[in-house]
Amino acid sequence: MTMDMSRYLGLFISEATEHLEALGRDLVELEREATASTVDSMFRHAHSVKGMASSMGFEPIAMLAHRVEDLVDAVRGDRKLLDRDLVDLLLSAADTLTAQVRAVASSREPEQAEPLLQQLSARVRALTGHAPAVTRVAHVTVLKPAEASSEAGSATGDGTAGGVGASDAAGTSGGAAGASGDTASGSGGTASASGSGGTPAGSSASGSAASGSTGSGGTAGASASGSGSGGAAGTSGSGPSAGASGTADASGLVASGAPGSAAGTSGSGTSGSASGTPGPDSGAGRDGPGASGAAGSTALAVLPPASLMPPRELSSPDALYGAPTGQSLVRVPAEVDPGSPVAALAAGLKAVTNVGVDGRAAAPRWSVRLRISPTCQVPGVRAFLVHKRLSTLGTLVDLRPPLEELKAGRIPDGFIQVDLETAVGEAGIQTALRNVAEVEVVSVSQAVPEPPIIAVPPPTSDSARATADASSRTVRVRTELLDYFLDTVGELMLATARLREVGKELPENTRPALEEGVYRLHTLVKDLHDKVMSARMTPLSLITDRLPRAARDLARRKEREVELVITGAEIELDRAILDELADPLLHLLRNCIDHGLEAPEERLAAKKSVRGRVLVTVRRARDRVIIDIEDDGRGMDPVRLKASALKRGLITEEAAARMADRDAFLLSCLPGVSTAKELTDISGRGVGMDAVKRVVESVGGTLEIDSERGRGTVFTLRLPLTVAVVHLLLVQVGEEVFGLPIAKVVGATEADPETLSRSRETALLPHGNGLLPVHPLEVLLGVPASPRPGFRPFVVMEGDAGTGKVALAVDRLLGQEEVVLKPLSRPLDLLPGLSGVTILGNGRPVFILDVPRLLTA
Amino acid sequence: MRHVIFRVEKERYGLPLSAVREVVVPPERYTRVPRAPSAITGVMNLRGRVVTVVELRQLLHLPEGPTPLCRVVLLDRGRRDLGLLVTDVDGIEAVERVSAAPGKVMPAVRGVARLGGLGVTVLDPEGLDAAVVALFTPSK
Amino acid sequence: MAKRVLVVDDAIFMRNMIKDIFASGGFEVVGEAANGLEAVEKFKELKPDLTTMDIVMPFKSGIEATREIIKADSSAVVIMCSALGQESLVMEAIEAGASDFIVKPFRAEDVLAVVKKVLGEA
Repeated sequence: MTMDMSRYLGLFISEATEHLEALGRDLVELEREATASTVDSMFRHAHSVKGMASSMGFEPIAMLAHRVEDLVDAVRGDRKLLDRDLVDLLLSAADTLTAQVRAVASSREPEQAEPLLQQLSARVRALTGHAPAVTRVAHVTVLKPAEASSEAGSATGDGTAGGVGASDAAGTSGGAAGASGDTASGSGGTASASGSGGTPAGSSASGSAASGSTGSGGTAGASASGSGSGGAAGTSGSGPSAGASGTADASGLVASGAPGSAAGTSGSGTSGSASGTPGPDSGAGRDGPGASGAAGSTALAVLPPASLMPPRELSSPDALYGAPTGQSLVRVPAEVDPGSPVAALAAGLKAVTNVGVDGRAAAPRWSVRLRISPTCQVPGVRAFLVHKRLSTLGTLVDLRPPLEELKAGRIPDGFIQVDLETAVGEAGIQTALRNVAEVEVVSVSQAVPEPPIIAVPPPTSDSARATADASSRTVRVRTELLDYFLDTVGELMLATARLREVGKELPENTRPALEEGVYRLHTLVKDLHDKVMSARMTPLSLITDRLPRAARDLARRKEREVELVITGAEIELDRAILDELADPLLHLLRNCIDHGLEAPEERLAAKKSVRGRVLVTVRRARDRVIIDIEDDGRGMDPVRLKASALKRGLITEEAAARMADRDAFLLSCLPGVSTAKELTDISGRGVGMDAVKRVVESVGGTLEIDSERGRGTVFTLRLPLTVAVVHLLLVQVGEEVFGLPIAKVVGATEADPETLSRSRETALLPHGNGLLPVHPLEVLLGVPASPRPGFRPFVVMEGDAGTGKVALAVDRLLGQEEVVLKPLSRPLDLLPGLSGVTILGNGRPVFILDVPRLLTA
Repeated sequence: MRHVIFRVEKERYGLPLSAVREVVVPPERYTRVPRAPSAITGVMNLRGRVVTVVELRQLLHLPEGPTPLCRVVLLDRGRRDLGLLVTDVDGIEAVERVSAAPGKVMPAVRGVARLGGLGVTVLDPEGLDAAVVALFTPSK
Repeated sequence: MAKRVLVVDDAIFMRNMIKDIFASGGFEVVGEAANGLEAVEKFKELKPDLTTMDIVMPFKSGIEATREIIKADSSAVVIMCSALGQESLVMEAIEAGASDFIVKPFRAEDVLAVVKKVLGEA
């Protein structure tokens, strides 16, 4: 629904002007005597102007007033901070605000006062230590003539619009509809899109909501997978400036079990019918009994998160959400005919039909699981309200997240779990929460569950799993969906970077506004990125769970006894990194058992227990996850490793002599080193060790090896928690750009290749006290390039144990950049010498080079 | 089964619809992949994904020749980062009876079928994958 | 029968906007107050079904006013009108007995959704 804000324009101008005049008076007053009440009054004036301007959609005014409010608030505690400079600044802000209001009065857009905003924020930051908050502004267009139709703002008009939105959504995807809502509203849209689509835990979208589009609550038999395609999408599509998705979700969700409520909100009966036809492709969504907004008989339907996915995904049946994610959400009011599939379904989960009985049950401990609507702007406050409501019912036994976390709004995915002892029963709990907006009761269950009373088909394994899910607070998300989220966020980042680039082309005076916008966009996208990243965190147990079985099989084959101890597997890592690690971990384990551990008789001779031990220890150290794979076997021999590498011409005699043991152990990661036949005790160490090292490094981690003869070997993997951010030096050769990891760059210099001395074909660059071999990058990479005669830039890089330092000749040094490393997907991972790829701000993919590998492979 | 039908010059090929994610217009320029086999046209940025584009002509060992190349058929599922460079995409058709292809057996080719009186070579997604990987394996 | 609403805000602009929102939702706005003192008086006089309460107001804050209103009638339904950044104040108001809250800048449908929810109409 869109309000016609233009009719408040006159009032805005007169009242804002009054407040600003009063603010000016207060400021002058302040210079004579800074009383608490004067400062309070200033705060109120600024606050009022902010509130009005944001309602009117006058962003520049709202932002400036907001900063003034922040600054005044910052000096409230200590009025001595109000020095002359600060008063001057506030006065000029008041003047500017007045000018902006005047601009509005003469139908002009108020100008953004960027320098002033910056000065104010600098002061706020200096006083409070943190940056001022973002100003939220309603997106309305007041100054342009309003379009009669879309401004009607009546419930009926809204319902129609909602219907259109819903069918749109069905045709394309929920995501698209949400996005349009976002453009229009600027706040509710995004949140809702991800809320309805992207809450695979299955936040349920209800039949209807304020705007009146009805989701078809499909409940397909006992599997409970349903599809409500209308819901949120319909609302958010309701008009250019409506984007009212938040409401749709909130009221819809909690409408569960409140008969007659589904269509009620809209106040317009026309919208009660199921307008949201499931997308043509969403095969699973058949209209169930609860569909077509049967006025709340089943207010909840499951909105498949698939609707967020691109159309292509929808067409494959398995792209839709499977049952396990869905059912825990389906709640059915007691009035439902127990014979109906819906009731059967509910009973499969936990019959709600026995509410009345349970209400006075002897064991009155209840477990309540709730979800704060993703569109809620202040989840902390919302959660606090819920907490307050529930605490009045009895004794709160457990609260997760804890209260302080709740109040601070740190509520993962909005899920709250409350255990309380109360005599009011489920009905009482539902009643207490029924009147709280933006909260969905996911489940209410007695802490000691009772078998379902009515005879129904036995719970399928799926539904059992759903119940388990509800209690363990986990959410199942398909990896593909997570990838899709990450990709999309990546696209957003890219788009933002592009916008910033475009902004540089704009004339000076229009730039600040865009830059401010881009900055905000950047912050939001970054935040979203963080959230997506945290959603991708997966416990290592996902891959370590396979190790005991593998260890057993390996040990049997080698006729050895092995004890495998895994600790810390609950620690989480980004899913993408985890996927990459599965093979390397298995490989290291195999190495330990096959080659690290001695045969039983050998162990006995060495006074070791017959049974070998392999420890896999996972721990967190700040932003890294460290995995140690340790055996108590025979250890590695640095001397033999060096000899082998020397023999294969991988290192020089001199380098071997200087090499520390730790570096010598890493020689086992050079291809071929330990496959040499004579090195029986470490044979096989090298098989795939180069691959292990490469994978670990490609996800931004490092591999270290420590070993002691006779005592054992430790492989240490240090891994980033999330997909790595790396610093690159960008260089150009020919038309191509490549990235060199700054961590491995020693320095850069310029020289004329013609003047360099040569050893056979290789040019030598003087560096420090020695000479470094020069490798023209175009030759190394096979890139066409015709370097101009004369001086060329050289980048000096660390090599590895085998290569030592080298100098790369390039055409241009383009500068440094911080980028998100993407692992190489098939078939690129088969190419030696590439450690990853990234996409630059201009959209160009750029490869990151692994120079030692380039030189040796 | 429904197949996406596309052409390399005049020759028609089909891939199961379920194996194709989307069809896109190639970028103005690719990022060259250093040391890659010549069949690899390069990589492109597709909405934040780095997609490797392979020239189907070379993958299938077709005779060389200048072709106005204008579409990239992106594979789906586990092969999401792989795109095939083709001449054009004709559409989606139901392909029923697939019979063995005459001549040399290629893993990328599942067989041939008739479609509207004309022949179409039906490709095998897994085989394509294997063919691409084979390009990169030096022991060939 | 239409529910009766008391609108408390120190800005006429806001009061008018809120009044219009309620009117569009089928409510009857029976009174207005521009500060906390007035709010308590009007509440006692009008006994509205619902009161919307601004937080930052002269003379007496919305939180104080809410506390007094709840003291006078523990079943009173008070909805706080807050802005982002006022989270702790809203929690204080909830402690004082406020039933719910809305966040500025308001959107009509958000306001009505919360209000209807609180009144058990949704």
